[in-house]
Parts: sequence; structure tokens; C-alpha cells
Amino acid sequence: MDPIKYFTFSMILSILGIRGILLNRRNIPIMSMPIESMLLAVNSNFLVFSVSSDDMMGQSFASLVPTVAAAESAIGLAIIVMTFRVRGTIAVEFINSIQG
Amino acid sequence: MFNLFLAVSPEIFIINATSILLIHGVVFSTSKKYDYPPLVSNVGWLGLLSVLITLLLLAAGAPLLTIAHLFWNNLFRRDNFTYFCQILLLLSTAGTISMCFDSSEQERFDAFEFIVLIPLPTRSMLFMISAHDSIAMYLAIEPQSLCFYVIAASKRKSEFSTEAGSKYLILGAFSSGILLFGCSMIYGSTGATHFDQLAKILTGYEITGARSSGLFMGILSIAVGFLFKITAVPFHMWAPDIYEGSPTPVTAFLSIAPKISISANILRVSIYGSYGATLQQIFFFCSIASMILGALAAMAQTKVKRPLAHSSIGHVGYICTGFSCGTIEGIQSLLIGIFIYALMTIDAFAIVSALRQTRVKYIADLGALAKTNPISAITFSITMFSYAGIPPLAGFCSKFYLFFAALGCGAYFLAPVGVVTSVIGRFYYIRLAKRMFFDTPRTWILYEPMDRNKSLLLAMTSSFITSSFLYPSPLFSVTHQMALSSYL
Repeated sequence: MDPIKYFTFSMILSILGIRGILLNRRNIPIMSMPIESMLLAVNSNFLVFSVSSDDMMGQSFASLVPTVAAAESAIGLAIIVMTFRVRGTIAVEFINSIQG
Repeated sequence: MFNLFLAVSPEIFIINATSILLIHGVVFSTSKKYDYPPLVSNVGWLGLLSVLITLLLLAAGAPLLTIAHLFWNNLFRRDNFTYFCQILLLLSTAGTISMCFDSSEQERFDAFEFIVLIPLPTRSMLFMISAHDSIAMYLAIEPQSLCFYVIAASKRKSEFSTEAGSKYLILGAFSSGILLFGCSMIYGSTGATHFDQLAKILTGYEITGARSSGLFMGILSIAVGFLFKITAVPFHMWAPDIYEGSPTPVTAFLSIAPKISISANILRVSIYGSYGATLQQIFFFCSIASMILGALAAMAQTKVKRPLAHSSIGHVGYICTGFSCGTIEGIQSLLIGIFIYALMTIDAFAIVSALRQTRVKYIADLGALAKTNPISAITFSITMFSYAGIPPLAGFCSKFYLFFAALGCGAYFLAPVGVVTSVIGRFYYIRLAKRMFFDTPRTWILYEPMDRNKSLLLAMTSSFITSSFLYPSPLFSVTHQMALSSYL
């Protein structure tokens, strides 16, 4: 039960999430997926550390983080829908109407 | 058990007031009997009243600080530091709500939910200031950020506003992810989430040889997440875009209130929780970079709100100077800087939102303001000079004390860089004043006189800015008390 292996797994997920946000070239709604991936990777990190150090705080934190992540993704989708209604396009290249 | 609820009575009140305001607004604005009234100013005044009553509850509950023992080992901690920070936060929120009224009326902004979404993050920020555990900190930072994403995108038909909202969403969610990653690494390496436990575990961890790379990565990630949220320089990606695209009262709220509460949180984590050279170096580097960028980047701007955004980034740089010296003078100068920054920013955004009524967007439109509206030109100049740090005004006082504290703790590179960038940054502040007083525009713009709320707010803040040099000792003694109690 080596925590390093599980920690590596969630670290890779988290880094893939960061990569997804920073290197997104397709469209905007796709950006909410890497955000979720980052939050859930950290969640599994908490669970791994909680089990390996036999402490309950990690598990209590891990049950609270997804509620916040769900609220955030709901608000994210609402804002993305509003952006689409105003603009008519979801391509990332067009998010530059504020210059400078 | 009673003690627990009495000690959080300000937060309980503001949560209930927000819910009741929301229900009141929904029930009455969709009722056919009253002909569907738009309830913006109604809910606005009630919202302002509820924020002021929360302030009253907080101030009157000061003796309860001594009996809030149940909090100490759990998630929150109340002491003089949180008391005064929360008072500052509530005063700033009251100021920004009173800025909203006239602009909602002018721009036909009929959504009362906008006003309800201002006390709601205030409640989270009150929790954030008193948070003493990683869980409480994250669970308070998140709802605050979520409410801000919504109000930044609140003008639904405007392309700028929705773009600002989506950029803020991505930036904020990314930074929360990094912050949470840092919390998990620290939890994994130490097994502790409470700041008291972390303070004991992380005492001198760099010196005693107990350093682990997990701990270092955790502290680094928490610092990076916080710096994203406070829009310090290597991480200020879209902050000027967000500040420019949001509606003006939202920009005002956004540049004052999260800075106060996140600075309080950073203080807890970096000075109390993990006092050491790692964070000092990060804040050192970020403050130098923020000061330099804040001074240089605002020079090329032609609009009115972007230089204010860049100057707030520069000011965050000055404030991070206070983080990077770990002494009591450092914390005290930081708190003085935040207080004066909050007042100056309320002042500046009140004037900008008063001028925006007639669609001012570019700096060139401010030409000859001195001839049409001399008093608002003088007030704007006073605010800009205070940002620049010209001596008898309050901004000079805060910068002086910050550099004094930096020199006093041995950061001999920081203070000269700060002074030089402050001098360079004066260029565009004085250029604004020059545009107002000495330039004649091609088309003269007549500004309507500003309403009573904003003029009262401007009178209070600008009189504080001009007169604090004569009698700064209440501010100094309050911040000294706050700094001392954050160490205990």
C-alpha cells in the first residue's frame, strides 16, 4: 500500500488538468473539464493521504470539495451559455474583444 | 453551544438577511398585483442596511471575543485582527453598494439579484478572514469566488461583461485548483490542516533539516494560488481584462474586497502557519515584479479603467512587500497599506462610475473636466496623487511605512526598487491630472452631477486621504494592535 503510486496518479491527473486549461485551442465549454479534473485529482490526493496517515480530516475535506466543484461547474456552464448567446460562437480565438 | 452561535452572529445575520432579501425580491418583482416592479433600489437600500447592521453586530459583539473558546480548536479564530479586518471589509462593502444605485438606474440595469450577490460573498469573506484551518479557508474562498464570477458577468447583453465573467471563471477556478493542491500536499506531508498545528510542525523546518519536497511544493502551490487570486504579477494573466470588462461597481467591489480578505488569509498562512524563508522569497520576487509592471504597463493605456487596474496591481506589489518581511512592522505596514488602498480605491471608482454615466470610456474624454466640474476634478486629482504617493496625502504615508519596514528587516533591494517604480508610476497619474486640467478635448462632454450617495462617499474618503497625515495615530495604533494579535 505504497502511497507514492497513488499520489503519482493524482499528480498526473492534476497536471493534465493544468495542461488542458492552458493549452486549450478548441472551444470554451471544453475548458470546464480540465478544471473538474484538477479538483477531482486533488480530491483523490486527499483520500490517499488520509488513508495512508490514518487521519479523518482528509476524508472530511474530500467529501466537501466535490460540492464546491459541482457548484462551480454549474456556474461555469451558465456563464458559457450566456457567452454563447451574446456572441454566437464558442471558438476560443474570439475571446479578445477587450484589447491590450 | 450558545457561545458558538453568538460569536458568529454577524455571519448568521448576513446569511439570513441575504436569503430574506432574495425571497422578497423574487416574490414582489414577479407579482402581478404590484405590476412587476423592478426592485433594484429597494433591495439595494435594504442590502446596504443589512451590511451596516452586520457591522453593528460585529462591533457590538466585541466582548464576545473572549468567550468564543469553542472556535479556537476547530475551524475559525476570532481576535482583534479579524475584528478590525472584518470592520474594514464591511465598510468597503457598504461603500461599493452605495456606488451601485445610480449606475443601475442610469444603465437600466433591472436585476435586483445583482444587489443580493454582494452581501453573499461578503459573508464568505467574513469567514475567510477568521479562517484558521485549510478546510475553512478553501470552503470560504470558493463561494466568494463563485459569486464574483456571476456578478462580473451580470450584464447579460454585453459582450465585454460576459467575456470578463468567463475569463474570471477560468482564472479563479484554476487558482482554486492550485490552492487546493497545495492544501493537499501540506496535509499529506504533515497530517495537519489546522494552522495552529501547522505552526508547530513547520517551525523552522528549513533549518532543522526536516524539509521534504512535498512540503515545499505544498507551500509553493498555496502561495501561487493566493497570488493568482490577489492578481500579483507573474500571475496577473487576465486581471486587467476582467477589471475593464465588468460593470464599474463590480470592478470596484472586485478590486477592494477580495484583496482585503485574501491578504488577511495570506497573513494567517504565511506569518502564522508557516513562517519561513520560502514564502518570503516568493513574496519578495512577486512584489518587485508587481511594482515594476504596475508602474510601466499603465503608461500605454488610453482607457480609464485599465490604468486603475494596473495601478491596483502595482499596489498589490507594495502590499506584498509587507508580506515579505516577517516582522511586526511588516505586518503593521501591510495593514496600513491595505486600509489606505481600500479607501483610495473606493474614492477612485466612485469618481469613475460617476463620470461613466455619460459613456466616458477613454482618458481623452476627461479633458477639461476642471472647467465643467471643478470639484470632481480636484477630488480625482487628489485620489490620483494619493495613489502616486505625493507627500501630504495618505498614499505617501502607507508607502513610506512599507518601505521603512522593508528596510528595517533587511530587504535592502526591495525598498529602492519600490521608490524608483513609485516615481516612474507617477507619470501616468499626473498625466490624468494634466488631461483634466490643461487639455481641451475636441468635443466637450457635459457630465451630470453625481448623486448624493457617491458624493457623501467621496467626501468621507477624500477627507480621510487629505487629513490623515495630520493625525495618523488612530490608524497606527489600530494596525499595531491587529499585528500583535495575529502573532499571539
